[in-house]
Amino acid sequence: MNLSKGLLARSMVAVAVVACLAVQFVHPASANQRQQIIEKITSEAKTLDQNFPGFSADRGKALFLSRPATGKPDTPSCTSCHTSNPSNVGETRAGKEIAPMALSKSPERYGDLEKIEKWFRRNCNSVLGRACTPVEQGDFLTFMFSQ
Amino acid sequence: MRPIPAFRLIVAMGYPWFVVGIETKPADIIMDYRLHSDPDRLAVEPPVKETLIWDLPLRLFHWSMVCVVTVAALTGFFAPVGWLDVHTVAGYALSSLLAFRLAWGFFGGHFSKFKTFPLSRDRVIKHLGQIIARKSPAHIGHNPTGALMIVVLLLGLIAVVLTGLVTLGGQEKLGPLAFITSYKIGHFSKELHEMAAFAVVGAIFIHLFGVFVETRVFKHRVIQAMVTGKKVTVGKFLIPKHRNGAPRGVILSLLVPAVLIAGGTVLANKTPAGWKLLEIPAVYASECGDCHSAYHPSLRSAGAWQAVMAGLPDHFGEDASLGQKTAGRISAFLQANSATTFDTKVARRVGRNDTKSLRMTDTPFWKKRHDEIDDAVFRMRGVGSKVNCNACHKDAMSGRFGDANIHVPTGDK
Repeated sequence: MNLSKGLLARSMVAVAVVACLAVQFVHPASANQRQQIIEKITSEAKTLDQNFPGFSADRGKALFLSRPATGKPDTPSCTSCHTSNPSNVGETRAGKEIAPMALSKSPERYGDLEKIEKWFRRNCNSVLGRACTPVEQGDFLTFMFSQ
Repeated sequence: MRPIPAFRLIVAMGYPWFVVGIETKPADIIMDYRLHSDPDRLAVEPPVKETLIWDLPLRLFHWSMVCVVTVAALTGFFAPVGWLDVHTVAGYALSSLLAFRLAWGFFGGHFSKFKTFPLSRDRVIKHLGQIIARKSPAHIGHNPTGALMIVVLLLGLIAVVLTGLVTLGGQEKLGPLAFITSYKIGHFSKELHEMAAFAVVGAIFIHLFGVFVETRVFKHRVIQAMVTGKKVTVGKFLIPKHRNGAPRGVILSLLVPAVLIAGGTVLANKTPAGWKLLEIPAVYASECGDCHSAYHPSLRSAGAWQAVMAGLPDHFGEDASLGQKTAGRISAFLQANSATTFDTKVARRVGRNDTKSLRMTDTPFWKKRHDEIDDAVFRMRGVGSKVNCNACHKDAMSGRFGDANIHVPTGDK
């Protein structure tokens, strides 16, 4: 009797854990994950500038819409592929669709720090010809989160 | 009129000698049929009767053949490559019809049997002489040159079907011969297929010309006979037994194409030679597939893939750098399944052709095959660029690039 009760309880826990994992998989990236990512970039920014006041969506927007043309010739700006409206579907140079950058349009975005770092590494180099600063990264994300 | 020697020599040279000997029945049966086609004599000499000469299976065969050959010729000579599936279906239908006709030539109606064909060389030469002298008698079954024409047409169409199947197997990796046919054999066979097809078209025109001469010059109602099956005959009439070959002959003759279709279906389901279904690793699909379609590894050589992977920080104008571990896994997959491990058209003509730029769009074959496509098509929404293979090649992900799976989008730009 005792044994079966324990078994029941344990299997219920197991089901609950599996369910949580499953939800994690299909669920859009959580606000919590985004917060953690912002916090990490904030701490990076603060190591460079102790008085760093915080990220700005407006600066992020300006960066997104700017045309630095200091990177590779085929990608003078973010908008070359993402279009000038973050809510639009973009297109890679190879013709593949890019899901909108705006969080409201692509809630599955911005949950994976590794992925965010990969694309900043690649695309900042392609567009700017250099790595993005933590401030630029944070501004950019803050702008996209607001869209 | 006896043919002059030179004319006789020309006929003799063009005569397919291997058909000599098919005819076993002497001329006497033919002599007993007095065929009437002169309307004036019809009026004055009645007991005329209509006799069934071309039975229903033969007539169905003939007119089905007309339809199927028309479709096959139109799709083969004129249609864009994307019509290959229709062309192939016509080819399969053609092979079934031919199989039926060959069987019907042994088990079928009297006048359809090959052994009743008046095919001897002397008979053909005599008939040609009669045609030139404009004194050609009506024949109850096939006339000698008509019979020879049928042999030529059947042999020509068999050649077309066989070379077509080899081409389909080698170039497209489709059909009953795909499991055994290399790309090179298929490519060579395509030349033969085209030659045979032109020869058959020529033979069809000669056939039609013969029918024209029969109906217009000699007033033999051969077209009507092929529709109703009947010819008007007078006089004593020898009707051989089992004239219509039914029902045993029909069953036997349908059995041959049925067996062929069944066997062909089994063979067509075997894995083609030089092509295999690849399991695309998730890391390749996501890392490379984020920006462009995850190209089939057979599209580039192992050396070219190595160069591509080494140059990721400047990947055709963009930084596509990857972590070392991820890059290593992707590289291993690409090397193991590069163009030399496939024998498809695209692996042979594009994949194994290294270009300095590493681009597949710089290979001569790619350029040749896409030169008629307007630049605007490549800029269309849903296409976007020349390297978005999937936009038109619906089977690009499998590395097959079959002609039948090409669907160039039209629509607004």
